[in-house]
Amino acid sequence: MGTEKHLIWLDCDFGTDDAAALLCAHGAASLEILGISTLAGNVEAHKTFRNALRLNRLLGADYPVYPGAEAPLVYPAEPGYRFHGENGLGGVELPLPDRWETPAEKAWDALYRTAAAHPGALELIATGPLTNVALALNLHPELQKLLRRIVIMGGAAVGGNKTPAAEFNIYSDPHAAKIVFEAGIPLTMCGLDVTNKAWFSETELARVGACGTPAARFFAESLKTPLQASGQGTVRLHDVTAVLFVSNPELFTGQLAGVRVETRSALTRGKTVTDLWSDQKFPSRNAFVVLGVDRPAFVRRVSELVCSLKAVEN
Amino acid sequence: MEPFPIPVVCDCDPGHDDAIMLLLAKASPRLRVLAVTTSCGNQTIEKTTWNARRICTLLGLEAPIAMGAAKPLCGQPITAPNIHGQSGLDGPRLPEPRLPLSALTAVELTAKVISECSEPVTIISTGPLTNTACFLLAHPELKPRIRQISLMGGGLAHGNWTPAAEFNILVDPEAADIVFRSGVPILMSGLDVTLKALITEADIARIRAIGGEISRVTAEWLDYFYVFHKGIGYAGAPLHDPCAAAVLIRPELFDIRPMHVEIETGGEFCRGATVGALPGVEDEYAPNVRCVMGLDREGFVDLLCEAVASYGY
Repeated sequence: MGTEKHLIWLDCDFGTDDAAALLCAHGAASLEILGISTLAGNVEAHKTFRNALRLNRLLGADYPVYPGAEAPLVYPAEPGYRFHGENGLGGVELPLPDRWETPAEKAWDALYRTAAAHPGALELIATGPLTNVALALNLHPELQKLLRRIVIMGGAAVGGNKTPAAEFNIYSDPHAAKIVFEAGIPLTMCGLDVTNKAWFSETELARVGACGTPAARFFAESLKTPLQASGQGTVRLHDVTAVLFVSNPELFTGQLAGVRVETRSALTRGKTVTDLWSDQKFPSRNAFVVLGVDRPAFVRRVSELVCSLKAVEN
Repeated sequence: MEPFPIPVVCDCDPGHDDAIMLLLAKASPRLRVLAVTTSCGNQTIEKTTWNARRICTLLGLEAPIAMGAAKPLCGQPITAPNIHGQSGLDGPRLPEPRLPLSALTAVELTAKVISECSEPVTIISTGPLTNTACFLLAHPELKPRIRQISLMGGGLAHGNWTPAAEFNILVDPEAADIVFRSGVPILMSGLDVTLKALITEADIARIRAIGGEISRVTAEWLDYFYVFHKGIGYAGAPLHDPCAAAVLIRPELFDIRPMHVEIETGGEFCRGATVGALPGVEDEYAPNVRCVMGLDREGFVDLLCEAVASYGY
C-alpha cells in the first residue's frame, strides 16, 4: 500500500450513513480530508450543513465545511426522513461547535479552488445527489482535468431502492448524475450492487457502540434508525463503502463498464444503465462498477476505524 | 396443477429458438396446439411466416397458421440477421411448406380458436407482442377466455439488444406495455432464466445421437445458434424461446416468483426495459406477473431430448 496519503474531498448529504462515512474517513490514516461540502438529499440543505459542523465537533476536527445545493438541478428535493430521522442523524442530538459561521464561499467554488491547489491529486468522494459536483463542473470546466477521480455512492447495475429502477441519490438528481457520469473523469460507482452487501447486524452495531467513545456511541445510536426502517434487523452502510473503497480497495471487486444515466422518462428516472451483461455495449467504458465486498472484513475494518477515534472534550 | 393438455396458440417469429419452442409444443402430450401465428421480429413477417410453415411441415404440426402484423404498433421493425441469418432460420435444409397459410390474420385466427375452444386458452408468445396486444385491443370480450400468456421477453437485471432492453420487448415496447397492463395472467420468461437455459456442445451431441430427421435438424439448428453465441462470448447457446413452452410443460423445473413489472416505452437509454420491483425497493408494488428467474438446466435438456426422441425416425 505504501505510505501515500489520499487527498480527499467529501461531498455529503448528512445522513446517518454519510456521518458514518465521515467517521471512517477521519479514522483512516491513509486519507487526508481537505474539505467537506454539503447539500440537500437525505435531509434539507441547512440541516446537512449543520450536521457536518456537529460531526466536526464530535470528532474534535476542524474540517472546512461549505454549503451547497438546496435542491436538485431540475426536480424538487425529497428528503428521506424514514431512514435518517428528521434531523438526518437518526434523531441523535449532537451539539454545534461553540462558534461557527456559514462561509461565504459555496461548495462548488471551494471544491474547485482546492482541486486547483492540488492538480491531479484530489479525490472526490460524493455520497449524496451529485448536484454540487455537476454545478462545480459546469461553473468551473477546468475542474474536469484537475480531479484525480470521483468515487460515488449511488446507482445500481441491477434494481433500485427509491424506485424499482433507481437508487435514491441518482433518482434525486438524475440530470446532475448524467453530467458527472459523462464528464470524462475516472469514476467509481459504489451502487446498491455492493452497498446492499455492506451491512451491519444489530449485534455488530452494538459491539461498536460498546467501545464507549462518543464517536462509537454516536455511530451505533444513529444507525439504529435505518436499521429499524429496514425491517430486516440489519443496516446497510451505503455511503461508507465509497470511503472504504479508497482506503481499503482490497476489500472490493468490480468491473469497468459503460454506464449511462436515464433522465428522459418517469418510470426509469435515475436508472444507471450498465452494459456489463448485454450483447450491445456503450461506446465508452466510463465507470468502474463495484459489485462485491468481503463483508466480514468490511465489518472488521469499519469497526476498527470507528473505535480508533479518540474521545474528545466537548 | 393445470389440467393437461393445455390448449395453446403459439405466436412466434422463427428463428432457431422459436423452432425449438414449436418442437417442444408439438411433442408434449401436455400441450395441444390450436394455432400458430407469426410476428415480425427475428426477420420480416414474410420470412418468419415462411419459416413457421416450413417448421410445421417438418414437425407434422397440422394446426392452422396465420400471418401477423408486418410491423410493430408504433416503431419500425428491427430484425436480427446477425443471429438467425438472412432467412431467419439459416442452417439445415428444410422441406418446402406443405401446409397452407390461413386466409385469416393472426388476430382473427387467434380470436376464432379461442372462441371455439371449450376451455380457456394459453398464448405462448416468443416474438414481439404486437399480435397479442392487437388481439387484446380488438377482442376485449375474449380476455376471460385467455388462461394466461406465457412469453419470452424482457429481463429484470439487464437487456441484450441494448444494455437495458431485451430484443422482443425492444421491438415493440408499446405492445408489451398493453399486454403487461392488460390484467391477463402473465408468465414471463426473460433473460433472467433464458441465459441459464444454456445448451452446450455435449448437449448438442446428445441430441444428434438420438437419430432421425428431427434429431439431425435440431442438432444443426443448435450448431448454428451455438456458433454465433460462442463467437460473442457465451458459454453455450441460450434457448430463450423454448423456456416459454417448457415452463408450461414442466413448471416444477423452474423458479417462478410473483413480481410487479412495468414496461419502459420512453427514455434515452431504457426504451424496452422491463422494470421489475425486486426486493429492497422502498414502496410495495402489487405483482402483475409471474416471473421465471431460474431453472433446472439438466431437467430442461432432458425434456428437450425426450421431445426430440418422441418424433422417432
